[in-house]
Amino acid sequence: MAAPSPAPQPPAVLELRQIHVPGRGQPRLDGVSLQLRPGERVALLGPSGAGKSTLLAVANGLLSPASGQVLWRGEPRAKGARARRRQQARIGTLWQDLRLIDELTVQQNLNCGRLAQWGWPRAVLNLLLPLETNACRDSLRQLDLDPDLLEQPVSLLSGGQRQRVAIARLLRQQPTLLLADEPLASLDPRLAKELLELLLLHGQAPRALLLSLHRPDLLEGFDRVIGLRQGRLQFDCPLAALQPQQLQALYGESAVPVPHPLP
Amino acid sequence: MKPAAPLLPLLPALVLLPMALVLPGLLHGGGWELLGAFAAAALHPSGDPLVLGSLVGGLGTTVGMALLGWAMSLLLGVPLGLLSSRLLWRSLVGTALPAELVRRLLAVPRSIHELIWGLLLLQLVGQQPAVAVLAIAIPFGALVARVVSDLLDALPERNLQGLLAAGTPAPAALLTALGPPLLPGLISYGGYRLECALRSATLLGVFGLGGLGNELLLTLQSLQFRELWSGLWLLLAVMLSLEALVSALRRRWSMPARLALERRQPVGRSSRELVLAAAALVPLLLGVGRALAVDPAALLHWESLPPLPTGGWQAALQLPWLTLVGETVLLTTLAAALAVGGAPLLLLLVAPWPWGRWLLRLVWALGRLWPPPLTALLLLFLFKPSLWIAALALGFHNLGILGRLLLEGVEAAGPEREDALRSGGSGARLALLYGRFSGLARSYLAYGAYRADVILRETVVVGLVAGTGLGSQLRESLSAFAFDQLALLLAAYALLTLLGEDLSDRARRALLRP
Repeated sequence: MAAPSPAPQPPAVLELRQIHVPGRGQPRLDGVSLQLRPGERVALLGPSGAGKSTLLAVANGLLSPASGQVLWRGEPRAKGARARRRQQARIGTLWQDLRLIDELTVQQNLNCGRLAQWGWPRAVLNLLLPLETNACRDSLRQLDLDPDLLEQPVSLLSGGQRQRVAIARLLRQQPTLLLADEPLASLDPRLAKELLELLLLHGQAPRALLLSLHRPDLLEGFDRVIGLRQGRLQFDCPLAALQPQQLQALYGESAVPVPHPLP
Repeated sequence: MKPAAPLLPLLPALVLLPMALVLPGLLHGGGWELLGAFAAAALHPSGDPLVLGSLVGGLGTTVGMALLGWAMSLLLGVPLGLLSSRLLWRSLVGTALPAELVRRLLAVPRSIHELIWGLLLLQLVGQQPAVAVLAIAIPFGALVARVVSDLLDALPERNLQGLLAAGTPAPAALLTALGPPLLPGLISYGGYRLECALRSATLLGVFGLGGLGNELLLTLQSLQFRELWSGLWLLLAVMLSLEALVSALRRRWSMPARLALERRQPVGRSSRELVLAAAALVPLLLGVGRALAVDPAALLHWESLPPLPTGGWQAALQLPWLTLVGETVLLTTLAAALAVGGAPLLLLLVAPWPWGRWLLRLVWALGRLWPPPLTALLLLFLFKPSLWIAALALGFHNLGILGRLLLEGVEAAGPEREDALRSGGSGARLALLYGRFSGLARSYLAYGAYRADVILRETVVVGLVAGTGLGSQLRESLSAFAFDQLALLLAAYALLTLLGEDLSDRARRALLRP
């Protein structure tokens, strides 16, 4: 419509404006605003109870804020059921408890990422026959998993394999917004580092990644860091500009949670 | 091609395909106005004080019969259950042989439906309130006995052996080691049986054994639909309150839910309430017995039986046994498939609509409360009598029971996986299918297998009105006082139910194997 001269900036993958979510006593989120541009990989830091999970629940549409606006690619929450499903399909969430379906095989779980696109017949067929085997094999290979795992029930996989299958399902969904709620919390350091590298790799443009962490020792590779405390935004800055004092203020008296020696 | 877990509960619903082909051919053309009038009357039940008074009286009788029959079945069932426990006999006497014997004996009263007991007793001692109570108590008592002994024998023996090894006398050791862990399961099952007793008492009324069922039948036959609905709504209110009470008590005393996957918890501090509740039941039961004029002594006056027909067993053996048994088995299969497959299918259909589940709850509650022979009569407004109609009526009733159970299970299963799928863009139905049915499939089907076994027993109920299977023959033999035929029919029924019970046990064990 207007002057074509500067390349039109693509809309933010996710934009939150003055989000407010009430809680018991103090609000769970209080006037939070932020933007995720394509290609940005953002770490969401804060002590437990800071409102990180609430923020992610607002970002993936599971929770509607009491006031404020959520925009996905510049659009508010769609009204019609079909449009809303299309919108949700672009939001991929890696849950802390993974939420794989233990009774199904790896392949059926991977195809769950396609359910938003598939109609009834294919969704039912997926429970009868192996569907889209090549695509599933590819997504396993991308995550360094053996493609022969496809026919295994996920209940037989190891913890690390389950993590990777969950990410593979996420990628099958082809979302533009990647959300991850403390994905590293229960992992040993080596696994945590590997998983983080994978997520950072797949969070490149046109995607964007928002990942919550409760300890600030794995920030390498992120573009930006957001600090959340008691439901309020404390800082939002590029990783390079982050000051140690900011982290100290974020975690309050206990400062950065270093492992305590047992009493 | 092996269907994955979430599809398994839906497979039985394939029975709808042949049904859709057959049913249009069975329409006899008329009856739509009648059905319309029936449906319209639901919103305009009769408020006539005279009608309401008689309905409330009938309802009181039904509830009283249910309560007495239920209490008696527990009084009979618990001791019999102890007697048929292998564990108990082994610890006390050293051999489990007597337990096996009692078990076999109890299979007979268990395998015969309360309605047959009721009709037999009616022939023997004539019409009186005690008949319905006894008719409920006999098969229910045997069922309770089986569950008690199964619960007992499934308990770990280690605690008991520990006590015995320490020199505790056997009776004290048994009570200490097995009493507390047995109680939660027993009370949960006892509550469920009370719900069953109310349904059975209503059904017995339809066949003239007293109470509201009879009024429902009469108003239906005389096409007084508004009065019929007054009775139905009253019954619905009582049934839903009873179900709410039972489930509230179950939760309060932290008993396991029926489709629960978690471990049961000890009763602990609630035991005092339990004793108080049991103590309060005694005067209540005595009062009910007095109000209903139940007179156990009257049961002893037997009327003389007509002589056996001449010609011995020849005539009875000439009955078309193969057809009768075949029809009964087919009826069971169709009704069970409708009920087991119908519940998850309907739940999926209404998944996108917030009011859908409430509508289903109402329809299912009506299905539970509406005795199958009345449904069959209603269907006969539209269709010619046939096995399919009987299956529809029986299936609808059991759909109400299974649907409620499935919904309880679905709501207890936790929303996490469904939420995850929804926030990835799946529709409501697919999220429900993948997210919740996956985990429930096996335990639901295992319960379905048990239900199929109950349905086999219940075929007699619709057989009596829809003219199909052993049940229809039973009615003829009963009214002709042909006791030789009756004896053979009962034996056939008992044999069939025992076979069915064995099959359903096997299916259940296979389904629940980890």
